[in-house]
Amino acid sequence: MRRLLLQEFRFRRGAILGWGIGLCLFPVLYVGLYPSFADQMSNFYEILDLDFYRAMGISMASFEGYLASTVTNLMPLILCIYAVINGTGTLAGEEDSGRLELIVALPIPRWQIVAVKAVALGVALFLILTIAATGASLTLVAIGSQVDTMVTPVDLFFSLLAAWPLAMAFGMISLFLGAFSPSRRTAAMLATVVVIASYLGSNLASMISSLEAVQKFFLFYFYEATAEALENGQQIGNTLVLLAVAMVAFGVAGFFFRIRDITVGAWPWQRGRIPEPGQE
Amino acid sequence: MTDYAIETHGLSVYYGRHRGILDVDLRVEQGEVFGFLGPNGAGKTTTQRVLMDIIRPTAGEARMLGRDCQKDGVAARDRVGYLPGELSLYDSMKVRRFFKMYASLQKSNTDPGHWQALSERLELDTSRKIGQLSHGNKQKVGVVAAFMNKPDLLILDEPTTGLDPLVQQTVMELVREANRAGATVFFSSHILPEVQAVCDRVGIIRDGQLVATERVEDLTRQHFKRVRFTFATIPPADAFTQDGVTVLARDGQGVILEIRQHLDKVMETVVQYGITDIETIPVSLEEIFLAYYGRGNGGRNA
Repeated sequence: MRRLLLQEFRFRRGAILGWGIGLCLFPVLYVGLYPSFADQMSNFYEILDLDFYRAMGISMASFEGYLASTVTNLMPLILCIYAVINGTGTLAGEEDSGRLELIVALPIPRWQIVAVKAVALGVALFLILTIAATGASLTLVAIGSQVDTMVTPVDLFFSLLAAWPLAMAFGMISLFLGAFSPSRRTAAMLATVVVIASYLGSNLASMISSLEAVQKFFLFYFYEATAEALENGQQIGNTLVLLAVAMVAFGVAGFFFRIRDITVGAWPWQRGRIPEPGQE
Repeated sequence: MTDYAIETHGLSVYYGRHRGILDVDLRVEQGEVFGFLGPNGAGKTTTQRVLMDIIRPTAGEARMLGRDCQKDGVAARDRVGYLPGELSLYDSMKVRRFFKMYASLQKSNTDPGHWQALSERLELDTSRKIGQLSHGNKQKVGVVAAFMNKPDLLILDEPTTGLDPLVQQTVMELVREANRAGATVFFSSHILPEVQAVCDRVGIIRDGQLVATERVEDLTRQHFKRVRFTFATIPPADAFTQDGVTVLARDGQGVILEIRQHLDKVMETVVQYGITDIETIPVSLEEIFLAYYGRGNGGRNA
């Protein structure tokens, strides 16, 4: 079990560094260059506060708004894409490639295989976020003297780390879809739809009163990427909801993986049954 | 039910409405080498995957080493070495690291370093990445992985696929040695001479159904006989025109007959022409297999 876990970490080593450094570049470029175009931005504050931008989670009428829109809004979204890639790749991808057969044939309960992969994914997401959050915070330190803001590098660091439950929820949903659907391709497609629908749905629902009732169906609703959240942190209740979703998705993934016919590539309802006489 | 290394009762697997295997009742005794024969798609791999709990049966039950493969699968697989037919490995890993990981995941591995001896035997370079290996060398990795925990039961799906003849021979030696050490071996193969060389018994599966389970020598002895008769008087062309008898060749005074039934009537006929010599020609497992599958007529003709 420990060896399998170590191996899962080894497999993700490159991805952790690559995604961590890649995500670092995001705040380095967006936040690091802010002082050079801050004056120009002030001319467009009214335009940048249009509903169109808000629907995409962007509100740049202040530096805090800019920070929230570019860093705490988009970085978790990008991380969720990694969660989808990895979450669907770890069971469904390995099954598609045939590698899972050798592991499942070992004397290891299937729930342990799912648990190891979930833990490895969770740790990978956390490490990627930590690298990216460190990069973002250091960038803010570097430009601190050039911008007037109440947001501290520590605030920014923890605001980004607070996206871990969100990424974890999507990671576990992806894991579940990988254990449930016939192929990685299908699982990745469904998981991507869930992420994008959740992101856009959450932002749209926050602006359209008639959609308020369905707002809580979109997971991004539970992660606030706003200037206020940068300073005050996330609501603990929302974080717990995301963790609960991750736990439930993990449990369901475990259930479906336990009953799954590996190498067959079928939906659960397509499992074989003895045909009635004359049907065959 | 605990006396058999492998035991299945009414084992059926359907993929949706497509039949994988149907009502397979199989018993492999402890300590025997059992060959599982059948053409592609006959159900060999499906049967082996059910045993390893990779796929679940639609009906019936399967047991390995006295344990239910599904309800008690972890314990059932504990002393089993498995080589899948479609082997896929972690290309980015070095062979050595893969073996260490794999050995550590086998709970009752009594000799964690055995993979080294096996690798040397198969001349496998364990310092290389798996992705850099040829198909044959990847197959060697699979073979080592299957044998490395000195299992009580080996389930091998086409173990010599992609290997050169020398390595094929080494793998068959490994099978024999494991068997001599007390292991049961259950393997499928298309290379029938190797099955004939190492197996005690064979099972023949056709269209998902087990159509024969016999000792290799019984199968080759009983199924049909080929006899070369040399006559004092050359028999006429229609002398052996009867059910169950085929004239395979005529050569001067000699006639080679394939006799499936009515041996007594054949003998009555041949004595009429004065027999000067009789020679029984051995029938290979391959010929038996082809007879079961009725090459050319789509079904068993024997």
